[in-house]
Amino acid sequence: MNDVFLPEIACLEKVRDETPDTKTFTLRFRDHPNGNGFHFLPGQFLELSVFGCGEAPFCIASSPTRPGTFETTVRRTGQLTDQLHKLANGDEVGIRGPFGNGFNVQAARGKDMLFVAGGIGLPPLRSLIWNVLDERDRFGKVTILYGARTPHDLVYKDELEEWKKRSDVELLVTVDVAEHDWTGNVGVVPILFQKVTLHPESTLAYVCGPPIMIRFVVRDLLNRGFKEESVISTLERMMQCGIGKCNHCAIGHRYVCRDGPVFNYREIAELVE
Amino acid sequence: MVYTLAREGTTRWLDKLLEAGEVIAPVRGPCGDVIFSALRSPAQVVWDFENPLPPPKQFVLPQTDPLVKIKLHGQRHEVEPIYDDAPRTLFNVRSCDVKGIAFLTRMHEAEPADASYLRRAHNLTLISLACTTPCPAGFCTCTDSGPFLSAGYDVQLTDLGGSFLVEVGSEKGEAAIARAPDLFQKASEDAVTQRQGLEAAAKTHFGPETCHFGSAMRRVSTGRVQDALWEKMTDWCLECGGCNMVCPTCYCFSVKDLPQDGAWVRCRMWDSCQYTAFTLEASGHNPRANRKERMKRRFFHKVSAQYYTRDSTVGCVGCGRCVKTCLGSTHMPAVVAAIRKGKWHE
Repeated sequence: MNDVFLPEIACLEKVRDETPDTKTFTLRFRDHPNGNGFHFLPGQFLELSVFGCGEAPFCIASSPTRPGTFETTVRRTGQLTDQLHKLANGDEVGIRGPFGNGFNVQAARGKDMLFVAGGIGLPPLRSLIWNVLDERDRFGKVTILYGARTPHDLVYKDELEEWKKRSDVELLVTVDVAEHDWTGNVGVVPILFQKVTLHPESTLAYVCGPPIMIRFVVRDLLNRGFKEESVISTLERMMQCGIGKCNHCAIGHRYVCRDGPVFNYREIAELVE
Repeated sequence: MVYTLAREGTTRWLDKLLEAGEVIAPVRGPCGDVIFSALRSPAQVVWDFENPLPPPKQFVLPQTDPLVKIKLHGQRHEVEPIYDDAPRTLFNVRSCDVKGIAFLTRMHEAEPADASYLRRAHNLTLISLACTTPCPAGFCTCTDSGPFLSAGYDVQLTDLGGSFLVEVGSEKGEAAIARAPDLFQKASEDAVTQRQGLEAAAKTHFGPETCHFGSAMRRVSTGRVQDALWEKMTDWCLECGGCNMVCPTCYCFSVKDLPQDGAWVRCRMWDSCQYTAFTLEASGHNPRANRKERMKRRFFHKVSAQYYTRDSTVGCVGCGRCVKTCLGSTHMPAVVAAIRKGKWHE
């Protein structure tokens, strides 16, 4: 019987500043440096231990198409993330997982892919975006709509530049509040819908961001003719055990950690709280 | 198999059980109340008692349950699982608590199985004492968990006066009898008849608490309980979490690292779905920030058809501990009655 609570030690291989309060951590398993046996899907999450501080759930931000190391992007917002942000290259953390259902990448083959992210909602989608881009010929049109409060709050700035340059990706970025040197879009994420052509019948829409953004984006997508099953999101809850036992993340009799965190909008609407 | 055991034989049997490992039994505490505790001598065992307020679940699922030892060698961390393989006997537990432990075990056996819990549960022998006098706040007939059990125990004792009827329900039960085989005689038909009579009599001596889960379940499962009713009930809840702590089927937990010997022990600790911080996320977002949502959650988990389908039972064993411990009277029978009638009692 596997020990469900036993973490595996991983070392920080690289720590990158994304925004003043957000960092991306590249991790490698200390005792299995090639990542042997660690298979995950985009959208799945990890329980990351900062020893002495405890465990918290973070989405895997890197793509399974790039094995060996894996990444997670974390905003400093509480005790554990505060300690995590103090760690440097070579420091050790504990990892359990991957947990949850993840995005169904197989089922998305041949479809147009629309990614709509707000702020720190881009990391879980980034895993899927890179998976799609690494297998580019298996998918249709790729559109990425991304918004943040200010230009400073945009994560993965280098990758946004890279995606912008690619001819097989349409990327639009907006900020709620611009500064004098910002020449891009200003406004909330839904304003970007006016600037792209969407084909609801052949497109899967992946939405992740703060609850208020998700509400408006989903409403707009449904108004534009997207089916509820084609609007897919990943839910946030306080997930502690990752295996549907501790009950922190329960919504009705469903567990975000085990039945989710990825749900389509129809499933979300059916959750009884 | 069904045996009889003479009352004076219990001391020697308990001595034999103590040789095999820890024996937990109801004993009189320093202030006179009865609690479950590890026995030092058979003489400590209390035979005539009202079920202790803290349930024996703490011996399979301790309030602070060490799971992982985290060691630090310089900058290098090592982790190892902590297992509790000690053989234990729970002696003179009541029928409802046997059902409670069966509920917890079923939950922890569900994939992915929880090895830490299951090791403890597999090394546990449950010797129950059937309730010839139901406790005043109990309603175990409503949950099919007492006053006598037809299955689920390793050994069930029934107090016949000068002797005990001993029903064996499992191999672990057989092994407990085999520790002192000469003490047990094959039960006579009279003894079995006497036990049936005691069970029938016990069922006529219940107190006023009843719990009609059926219609409450229909309403809770379909969200057809008025918000105003939840609000009225939550006005009476003090959010103490007492109901969760004394409930034999509550198992929600949080995981914490506690410092020990210059490093840490990762522990699972009982938590309560009635506490505000239970669902609080680091971002500050709290999906169940108000009491009404939390109370709804508790009773959805306990009595909804969705959970009934998963667990094959309601999340209640009718022990009546929440009735005794709740300061605001928002306990199981009161809330189920209010949901059924559509109004709070005030």
